[in-house]
Amino acid sequence: MKTTAPSADSRGATLINHWQCGVPVTHGPVLTPFLLLLTGLAGIGLGLAALRFFSPLGPFSAMNDVYAWGIWKTFNVMTLTALGSGPLALGIAAWVFNRQKLHVVMRTALVSGFLFYATGLIALGFDVGRPWNFYSALMPWRWNSESAMLEISICMPLYCAVFLSFEILPLILERIYYTGNERSRAFLSRIGPNIRKAYPFVIIGAYVIPLMHQSSLGGLLLLAGTKINPLWQSPVMPLLYLVAAVFCGLGFTIFLLMIVCLRYARYLDAAVLTELANLLSGVCFVFLAIRIADLIWRQQLRAAFALDKMSLLFLFESAMILAPAIALRFRRVRETPRALLNMSVLACLGGMLYRFIPTSIAYVPLRSTAYFPSTPELIMAAGYIALGSVAFVLAVNYFAVLPGEAGTWDHTFRPFGWPGKASQSSIAGPIPTAVVQERAI
Amino acid sequence: MNVILSRRQAFKAMIGLGGTVTSALLPAAAHAAADSRGNSEEHPAHPIAPPDAVAMLFDSTVCTGCKACMPACNEANGLPTDTLLSGGIWDMPTGLNAKTKNIIELYQDPQSDNFAFVKKQCMHCLDPACVTGCPFGSLVKRDLGAVTWNSSLCIGCRYCEVACPFEVPQFQWENWNPKIVKCEFCYDQRLKEDMQPACTSVCPTGAVIFGKRTDLLAQAKERIAATPEKYFENRVYGEYEAGGTQVLYLSSVSFQKLGLPKLGTTSIGHYATKVTSVLYKWLAGPALVAGVFGFFIRRNWERHETERREHEKKTGFPDQL
Repeated sequence: MKTTAPSADSRGATLINHWQCGVPVTHGPVLTPFLLLLTGLAGIGLGLAALRFFSPLGPFSAMNDVYAWGIWKTFNVMTLTALGSGPLALGIAAWVFNRQKLHVVMRTALVSGFLFYATGLIALGFDVGRPWNFYSALMPWRWNSESAMLEISICMPLYCAVFLSFEILPLILERIYYTGNERSRAFLSRIGPNIRKAYPFVIIGAYVIPLMHQSSLGGLLLLAGTKINPLWQSPVMPLLYLVAAVFCGLGFTIFLLMIVCLRYARYLDAAVLTELANLLSGVCFVFLAIRIADLIWRQQLRAAFALDKMSLLFLFESAMILAPAIALRFRRVRETPRALLNMSVLACLGGMLYRFIPTSIAYVPLRSTAYFPSTPELIMAAGYIALGSVAFVLAVNYFAVLPGEAGTWDHTFRPFGWPGKASQSSIAGPIPTAVVQERAI
Repeated sequence: MNVILSRRQAFKAMIGLGGTVTSALLPAAAHAAADSRGNSEEHPAHPIAPPDAVAMLFDSTVCTGCKACMPACNEANGLPTDTLLSGGIWDMPTGLNAKTKNIIELYQDPQSDNFAFVKKQCMHCLDPACVTGCPFGSLVKRDLGAVTWNSSLCIGCRYCEVACPFEVPQFQWENWNPKIVKCEFCYDQRLKEDMQPACTSVCPTGAVIFGKRTDLLAQAKERIAATPEKYFENRVYGEYEAGGTQVLYLSSVSFQKLGLPKLGTTSIGHYATKVTSVLYKWLAGPALVAGVFGFFIRRNWERHETERREHEKKTGFPDQL
């Protein structure tokens, strides 16, 4: 990571600085009314989930034997983990394709991805009917290795609990280092180098495993066969699900970075954002190319433009992905914050639509039964999302998640707006003036 | 000669190269081995029924709709009666559900007086999609071809319901300890003891009969040959549908009108696993990707570390990971 001086935007509209390292949010109240609202929603959702554990699924959901999967699976897991694929997309770009600039926003992607996966897994835990039999996951001789469901039920918890947790471990250790006592600091200095030694090996798993389970989410739907409309049902669905996850991860990271920087009055970094936008546009084009080639190969192109309900849905979804793909080719769009934000949201919505439609809207079984999520189902789904949002807000306030200027990162152990701890610190150092400046905003 | 690699690096490169080559070659070798043994593929596109496979043959033109098979099924499986529609008086299910493994349904033509009965239960596919999808092997295809469910392995993910093209497995939504309810060919109750399933044993007209699949298929074709004008399309539903099933249907009206889905002849398990079974053979695909990623990550990591050490020396503060 290079330390460069903040530079002024050439167009003079916005001051654009370089993001240099993760910096915690240290000003403004943490508990805003909005956060309390989200906490309440998360509490209601989790309360219902706890009730659900002592009750059959019937009273809590509108699922039936024809639509056996409700929104907990189809939205909270299959759709939202695409948005949580930021660590996968950015990680591969940064570490495998050596896009050095992206290292600085990895933490934002990692924390959001972890929360999407964790809340998805909570949703899954309350969705399955016989969770007490899940201990079979530890017994490889019971595994049905050809089942995509097995791949997901093992890889997703493994990825979240081991690989993502390891990747966000430095954030937590760093905080303990800066707020803890001498003993913990000595301990952390000792294990720090070991983490660095293990890191390049662990991240191999952290990229291979989501490649497997994000494609398996598409692979799940292959077995549904003719129940899914042929515009979506295709042998390349696993690949498309994976590519959709990659661009959703990129798009959501752009979106998240921009809105939190707006919220906490941080400067944006044009260099990093345009790099992400470039990648986003490229992956969107790859997705559309595979999608069209697949439709031509399966001779479904006529059905795709038949302008009936499914065809319009397909065109709508593709347009949502095509628009950012084209728009972000233009430098002016990439460098205009408002346009970049809009385009990344469009890409996210397009990818989410692609991942949601075949599980629900284009899922047309033989027996004509309708499914619309019941109120408790919706509240629980919203509660899981609220839980993730609350955790993210707390994370950016107490950990060095969001990117900022290196100058605003206080290395003299005055961390995280905890003045009590700061005064105890015996280690002296220069206090950068930039710290004072940022607090003044 | 100028030696660029250290001994250790050379070993590493050899191991890496070896691993990559092996993981590329192993699946090919495995594939070749499978081919040489003939039809030993896990999910062939058109599975061949084993010689001991049993079957049911349901002839819709013979069924009178007496529903004798339904209480017989309930009794053999210990199922409660579904009295929701009858006001608590008698068993009156509207379709396969958590209390019903077997049902007689009526098709009535909206224009004419034509009608036909159809018996619905598990089709016991030769390559069942539910068994392919079941993560911990709770649903298995047993000997004689019966597809059965094991409560101690099921996690209740309901993937079988999504996978089954006939929409047979039913989940107990109103039970805290939910079970998957589906016809199991009376495997534990009767089939194991050399008895035929309850439904076929009580059928008074012989509309549904039990026997070896090959025998029943031959018999069905004889019936079609004897009176070809009586049967729709002159074919047996279940002979090839979804790779073939162990429940066979004869009908005078279109099978789709009876509520049987229009399916291709390829096994669904084959469609779903033909690519992944090659990619994931001995985890060769993931290992290959891990090898390639590992090579680049290692290279970029070294660069990153060099830069980090320079940066830390310059500023005197630890760099973030």
